Amino acid sequence: MAGFATKRLGKELSKINSNSLPPGIELVSADNFEEWFLDIRVLDNNPLYLNQIYRLKFRFSAQYPIEPPEVTFVKLADRPIPIHPHIYSNGIICLDLLGQQGWSPVQNVESVCMSLQSMLTGNSKNERPAGDEEFVRANRLRPKDIDFYYDDNNV
Amino acid sequence: MPPPNTPEEGLLPPQSEPSRIASILATATPPPTNSSLVQPSSPEAANTAAPTSQEDPALLEIDYQILEYLDTVDETLLCPVCKTPFHSPVTTTCGHTFCAWCINRALDIQPTCPIDRQPLTKTRDYHRPPLIIKDQLDRLKVKCPNKGCDHVCSREHLDAHYERRCEYTMVRCPDSKCKKRIARRHVQEPASTCMHREVSCRYCDEKVALVDLNTHYDYLCSGATTKCSACDATVVLHRMEKHCADDCPEPQIRCKWHIAGCKIFDKRYLVQEHEDGCPYEIIGELLKQRAEDRRIIDNLTDRLVTLETERREHQERRARRRELSRQATNTSRGADAIDLSAPDPSSFFFDMEWRPELANVTSGENRTWGSPEDYMLARFERLESRMEDLSKQVVEMDAHQSMSMLQQIMPLNQQLVELGSKVGVLNMHTTWLMNMQRHNHIQQRAGAASASTSGLSNSGMVSSNEINNNAVRPPSEGGLPYRSTSRRNSDGRGEPPPRL
Repeated sequence: MAGFATKRLGKELSKINSNSLPPGIELVSADNFEEWFLDIRVLDNNPLYLNQIYRLKFRFSAQYPIEPPEVTFVKLADRPIPIHPHIYSNGIICLDLLGQQGWSPVQNVESVCMSLQSMLTGNSKNERPAGDEEFVRANRLRPKDIDFYYDDNNV
Repeated sequence: MPPPNTPEEGLLPPQSEPSRIASILATATPPPTNSSLVQPSSPEAANTAAPTSQEDPALLEIDYQILEYLDTVDETLLCPVCKTPFHSPVTTTCGHTFCAWCINRALDIQPTCPIDRQPLTKTRDYHRPPLIIKDQLDRLKVKCPNKGCDHVCSREHLDAHYERRCEYTMVRCPDSKCKKRIARRHVQEPASTCMHREVSCRYCDEKVALVDLNTHYDYLCSGATTKCSACDATVVLHRMEKHCADDCPEPQIRCKWHIAGCKIFDKRYLVQEHEDGCPYEIIGELLKQRAEDRRIIDNLTDRLVTLETERREHQERRARRRELSRQATNTSRGADAIDLSAPDPSSFFFDMEWRPELANVTSGENRTWGSPEDYMLARFERLESRMEDLSKQVVEMDAHQSMSMLQQIMPLNQQLVELGSKVGVLNMHTTWLMNMQRHNHIQQRAGAASASTSGLSNSGMVSSNEINNNAVRPPSEGGLPYRSTSRRNSDGRGEPPPRL
């Protein structure tokens, strides 16, 4: 049913506006119910991400929250793409939570942000995924259509 | 399940939401479908929305996800998927509760519980949630989802309100061929004409659906307005009269304190300016107050008068009643006498003037019945006296009855005693006979043993014969005939039967 995503996102938005988000997560813009932007930063002193803020883009389909949103990092002048073995340099994130299999309709924007936050916090490897350059050059698919193989349970 | 778009789709959930969301929602949601009333200015929208597919239900279903709840709902009552209070909830085997619609959709994509990812099968793994959940949901206070309706009720009663009572519910157009919907309050009787039929506006030549005509006149029609001849304001034509009487600043009117003596008589806007500081205002207020007091006094006087008359009537009635009751006791005493001498009830009734018309016919000076109460009272008293008579009669009857019973029972008792004694005599005779027989028998045995000459079998026969003979005629041996003495014996019980 059309409008389902809208209603659900309306509820999330009103909750964000009234309760505010957890520390390190900020809503940048939510001008419609298709695309939202949020800023996240890591709270501890992980040298990889110290003093950096990253911009996240959420794209919602009409099936949200039954289907996962499309979440990517966006590169801006003051918003780099965080370095992480599961984040490609074009901002695409390889996280099972955001895939069809790992997603659950009880997740929401806030919980996704917190997962990404902790994913960065827990990382100590200063590297990109294997085959990053080639992937960035060749990939024309939308993130949700990419068939990731989630093999790493440590990060 | 959740219905197609309703006109209220763009409405806001909780009040706390900032108005920014309102605008977002309004822009993000498509124009309301299925509703030509809410957006009368866009007939195209209504046309495209005319249900082209599926059967047309009588009513659009309530969209529970956009319901506005009055109080903040506890988080535990929110479906984890849609974040709204559960609508027809189901509980899974793993113990989590969702709206049926939400969990169905989620399982379509992935057959695991959205919360703990346990494998689930649609429908088969559903249970009815505990009733306490339903109770809590039922109690939530919600606003009617219809635009314009302010009704607030508990959620369990919302359906009934929406389906049967709410005047703003969109129902089918009375014309069965028309597929559009119309607010219930716009349906006119007799309901057969389509309210979406286009008519041309009286003032501009625009085509307007009948149902929107008034809105069109009041707000949209450019031809329906005109300039007021006096004040240059643009006024809707059919409101012109009202405008001239109440609003137009040009016509000359008197100051509203003219009753207090203000002589101002000028154009409305000047007078209105003047009225604020009119020196007569104080006097006017006093006059108003006086008029008010006057009114109260008049009221009180009226009430006093009515009370006075009522009191007088009441007194009169009481006096009459007292007199009547005195009469009634007299007559009832008379009635007692009559009743005892002649227990025919009809004569009693007639004597007492049972019927009012008879009473009037035979009335002496005091026999006219002033009011129904008097009549009822007299009648009541008569009934009471009659009742007493009747109870007396009943007691009498009772005594009589028991007397006659006693009389009948006495001889029966005597007869019973007599019979008892006869039975005793008979008993004694039987005992005597039995004894005699035994005696005979013993004697015969002794005889047979001594005279063993005759054959054993023979002696057996003889003895039995003898016994029989003895049994048949014992009295002949005793001399006195037994039967003839039996009656006399019954009287003298002490006399033993004759013994041998």
